[in-house]
Amino acid sequence: MTTYNPISALILFFVIAVLLFVLFRPIKGWFWILKKNFGSNEKTIIEDILKQLYHFENSGNKVDMKTLVQVLGFNHTRVVDAIKKMTINDLIYFESDILKLTDTGREYALRIVRVHRLWERYLADKTGFSRSEWHDRAESMEHVLTHDEAEQLSVRLGNPKFDPHGDPIPTKTGKVAQVNGVELPLLPVNSIGRITHIEDEPEVIYKQIIAEKIHIGSLVRVVENNATRIVFLSEGEEFKLAPIVAANLTVAPIENEVVVEDNIARLSSLDEHETAKIIGISKESRGESRRRLLDLGFVKGANISIDLMNPLGEPHAYLIKGTSIALRKDQAAKILIKRD
Amino acid sequence: MNKKNIDSIIELSNELRWQIGDDFHDNLTESIYADASEIVKDTVQSDTSNKRFRLDAKIDKIVTSKAFGFPIMFLVLGVVLWITIVGANYPSSLLANVLLDTIHPALKNGAASINMPWWLSGFLIDGVYLAVAWVVAVMLPPMAIFFPMFTLLEDFGYLPRVAFNLDALFKKSGAHGKQALTMSMGFGCNAAGVVATRIIDSPRERLIAIITNNFSLCNGRWPTQILIATIFIGAIVPESLSSVASLLAVIGIAVLGMAFMFTVSWALSKTVLKGEVSTFNLELPPYRPPRFWKTIYTSLIDRTLIVLWRAVVFAAPAGAVIWLISNIYIGNETIAAWAIDSMDGFGFLLGLNGVILLAYIVAIPANEIVIPTILMLTVLVTGTSGGAGAGVMFELDSMNATGDLLRAGGWTLLTAINLMLFSLLHNPCSTTIYTIYKETKSLKWTVFASIMPVILGFVVTFLVAQIWRLIF
Repeated sequence: MTTYNPISALILFFVIAVLLFVLFRPIKGWFWILKKNFGSNEKTIIEDILKQLYHFENSGNKVDMKTLVQVLGFNHTRVVDAIKKMTINDLIYFESDILKLTDTGREYALRIVRVHRLWERYLADKTGFSRSEWHDRAESMEHVLTHDEAEQLSVRLGNPKFDPHGDPIPTKTGKVAQVNGVELPLLPVNSIGRITHIEDEPEVIYKQIIAEKIHIGSLVRVVENNATRIVFLSEGEEFKLAPIVAANLTVAPIENEVVVEDNIARLSSLDEHETAKIIGISKESRGESRRRLLDLGFVKGANISIDLMNPLGEPHAYLIKGTSIALRKDQAAKILIKRD
Repeated sequence: MNKKNIDSIIELSNELRWQIGDDFHDNLTESIYADASEIVKDTVQSDTSNKRFRLDAKIDKIVTSKAFGFPIMFLVLGVVLWITIVGANYPSSLLANVLLDTIHPALKNGAASINMPWWLSGFLIDGVYLAVAWVVAVMLPPMAIFFPMFTLLEDFGYLPRVAFNLDALFKKSGAHGKQALTMSMGFGCNAAGVVATRIIDSPRERLIAIITNNFSLCNGRWPTQILIATIFIGAIVPESLSSVASLLAVIGIAVLGMAFMFTVSWALSKTVLKGEVSTFNLELPPYRPPRFWKTIYTSLIDRTLIVLWRAVVFAAPAGAVIWLISNIYIGNETIAAWAIDSMDGFGFLLGLNGVILLAYIVAIPANEIVIPTILMLTVLVTGTSGGAGAGVMFELDSMNATGDLLRAGGWTLLTAINLMLFSLLHNPCSTTIYTIYKETKSLKWTVFASIMPVILGFVVTFLVAQIWRLIF
């Protein structure tokens, strides 16, 4: 113990602590970055290229080499090498400058897209990851799962048709369902529609939509639509979005007089001494927690009122079927009601 | 029908199912639920005894009100803990009197009279019997008081209201309001607290509650805290304030435990546990008069005796180990002395010493025997007079004598503070570890829940020790 003194011991400790933090902090830790880089082998690059091309072709855009390299975050030369290899293997071909998928390439791309969306669906239904994380996790999983594993997963999830954002999941034979609807800014004022799809890229805009608590499957009525903003009502709340954000929402217009419950509201907006009837549970409530709510009696047609207000603001206790059940705000926001 | 036909039918059904879409299944289930509730409404007649309900609502209004909700809660918890700690003193000293001061010498005499070899009587009576007796004497009375009281509150229906009141706080750290209850249960016994997490039906929040239950200072650790605080913290303030100061120190440690509970819960829910499924709901059952005798009986049988039995099962081998390491010689030193010597350097870095670390290793089965083991080992190492012989745990009747012995073992105020911190932040006892395994059925989480608090304890005591030495 001759060399010991408290200061050097403390310094040593903090050096180790900082080192561990830099290496292992979530996502940005060097360890994870290195792991990811070593993991991104040729297969990953090829699959990402295929996927990008598929998305570009689907949206009717043309891609040349330059844009592709820009879109993908990989080393330039590695992308060029991969493209060379892919042309040899007949996955893609050039039409003058434009890159195009061959039939084999498209099939391969569809398989990747299928795994990606299935995995997002799995994360949404069976795990507790927050929805801002689904995309990134699926991005790395799509290169790992084999065709058979994807099939097993699909069966386990009940062969879902859409992923949690509303994107169609290609079947194993490569069939893709249609997403109905148009981008929200294209909807005229006063028209009514149902949100069928929420685009999760780019991340910045998606995070904004999540923060607004806009739910997939909910009805919207456009109130104002101009170049600077789009205002719409949904589930008793008013939302204001910039057109560029609103464009990430796909809405299927409802024309004929489907009985639109006009004064639908969220349970979270119920006040003390008010009573209401439950209309249903939002699509945003999934898996285990949805089933639990149904078990507890939050079903269509049930009468509900507030039993107890919480001293700290949440959760409030709701009186349903003679029982007092406390729900947190974010849960109550996913139960739709109609005030009496 | 041949195979081909069946296959094509299955294929067709898959195809149709896919065409119908995802909503169909949901709508079907939900309409079944809705239909069922319609049928119930029409056919089942319920006796809505409104009178009782109104009384319920009145009680609820008071216990969840902004003004009274929290004071009532702290009052109830405070009273329960106070009754437990104070009330357990008398039966504890009675049991200690009988088991340690009467039966133990009697057994030794009996063994001597039938010419039992010294090592056998030492191993069985000084080792195994003494550890078991100690655990029973310290553990049984508080548990027999705490659990029935807690169960009565539970039975009455008050505890869900506590969870309701506090949920917003727990939500901030990613936990469930009911963790307030399992945490309070942990003040009685961590193993029982871990079992109590069954009331949390959301998988993620339940794991959080299990892993962080150890931060509730349990019955086995309160006496250690109180003893050390009285001897060392009470001594640095004027005599008239000493009992207040030591009391505040112990409460400070308990509150620090809660702070760690919240912080670790938050960190867990943001990192390793974020993938677990999380569902929240909390039923507020109607109040009902507790079934007094039934509750007392079941809480004694279900909670107290089961936990006690597990503790005894683990304490017996621990007693044997303690006796053995202090009586088996390698070269000219006992195993205990070697171990203490080799851990002294590390102990010094943490502001502790080798004796304390060794005591915490051999006393993993039960926190109750930490102090007796420390005293025994201190005598062994310092060679001072006193004590009851190598491997025989003991406690001194007077606080002053205990303090003198510990100071002779090189203890300072820093050692005392860090011991209190380490007593809060170390691995759960083996009974709790075993219970965690039984409840989670996962080796990974059991290991994590066992190792994580020790590492925290090392870090905290280390930092305190260095900063202390810089300042003083």
